[in-house]
Amino acid sequence: MSDDGHHVLPKATLFKVFGGLIVLTILTVAVAYVPLGPLTVPVAIGIATAKATLVVLFFMALYYDNPVNALTFTIGIIMVLVFITFTMFDTAFRGDLGNVTPQTVQEIEREQKEAQEQMDQLSPEDLRVAPADYPDRQGAGDGGSGGN
Amino acid sequence: MATDTDTAPAPATTDVDHDHHPAHLEHHFVSSEQQFDSAKLGMWLFLITEVLLFSGMFVAYAVYRQWHPEAFAEASTTLNTMLGTINTIVLLTSSLTVALSIHYIQVDKVKKCVYSLLATIALAGGFMVIKYFEYTAKFEHGVYPGGLFEPHGPKYEYLAQIPYVPQFFSIYFVMTGIHGAHVVIGMAVIAWVAYRAWQGGFSSEYYTPVELTGLYWHLVDIVWIFLFPMLYLI
Repeated sequence: MSDDGHHVLPKATLFKVFGGLIVLTILTVAVAYVPLGPLTVPVAIGIATAKATLVVLFFMALYYDNPVNALTFTIGIIMVLVFITFTMFDTAFRGDLGNVTPQTVQEIEREQKEAQEQMDQLSPEDLRVAPADYPDRQGAGDGGSGGN
Repeated sequence: MATDTDTAPAPATTDVDHDHHPAHLEHHFVSSEQQFDSAKLGMWLFLITEVLLFSGMFVAYAVYRQWHPEAFAEASTTLNTMLGTINTIVLLTSSLTVALSIHYIQVDKVKKCVYSLLATIALAGGFMVIKYFEYTAKFEHGVYPGGLFEPHGPKYEYLAQIPYVPQFFSIYFVMTGIHGAHVVIGMAVIAWVAYRAWQGGFSSEYYTPVELTGLYWHLVDIVWIFLFPMLYLI
């Protein structure tokens, strides 16, 4: 006696899903030639996810199956998303903290404002630079950007 | 014998559908149904480990791509989109044939099941052949993974000037290589299942190995569905 608990994959469904997958594949390639800017990656992944969903639901029969299997698969995918998201939280923002100074942003702005006010009070006479203002150097005299 | 010590084997304490003890039913299961369900759950758990295996490499790709987008975009233009598309369609068709083989064994059409499995192997072989041509085209121009990267030839030599292009090819070769290894293993397993089916080992009552092999093969297909746009297209 054959098991009547198993859902027989209907052939028509399989062929329809296959047709959908081919259409999505053509779409994937077509979209790649359209300049989308920042949307390129999300669209490509979105279409790939749609194809994978079709395969998982119908070719792998998860749609008809015991929900425990779907739960297992979904939790696995969530773990993958956590993996990639938290890794990118780290790697995509490396070096952002390298520009930190001991002063806060407010203090830096206030210092800059005070320096600007002091500059405004100086006359052009005071701001003129003379050779004596340059630090003593061996090769002094060859023009070009000074500086250490 | 005259004595009536019970020498008869103890009947399996299953439901009324199985008065006999089906050959495939293990003693620690109550019914074929339960055995099939637990086999399937075990397979799904294994498939999740496979997904996580590939996701490690996908994360590596994502990190390096985010760090060096121009190098990766430039390097990906050297991959043959047409061959990649053909390979995608080949694998999608092989997924269809393996799903068909499960359908056929579910309705006791053993010969069609075997033919579908053989078609799957043939398509998988086609995939590997195309991959072979892709790889040799790269190797001929010195595009090797890792430290051996020495591109030459008019189409590839400009890659030497772009930093972090070798990382793209390392990731490309490792990801498609491990995927290719999974394809070859899948071919061997499908061949063995096809042989067993041909010998009459499966029926609509018991086709668990066909089912589980099909699940594995669909996963291999899903990995390629993601690999193709990421490596070839974007």
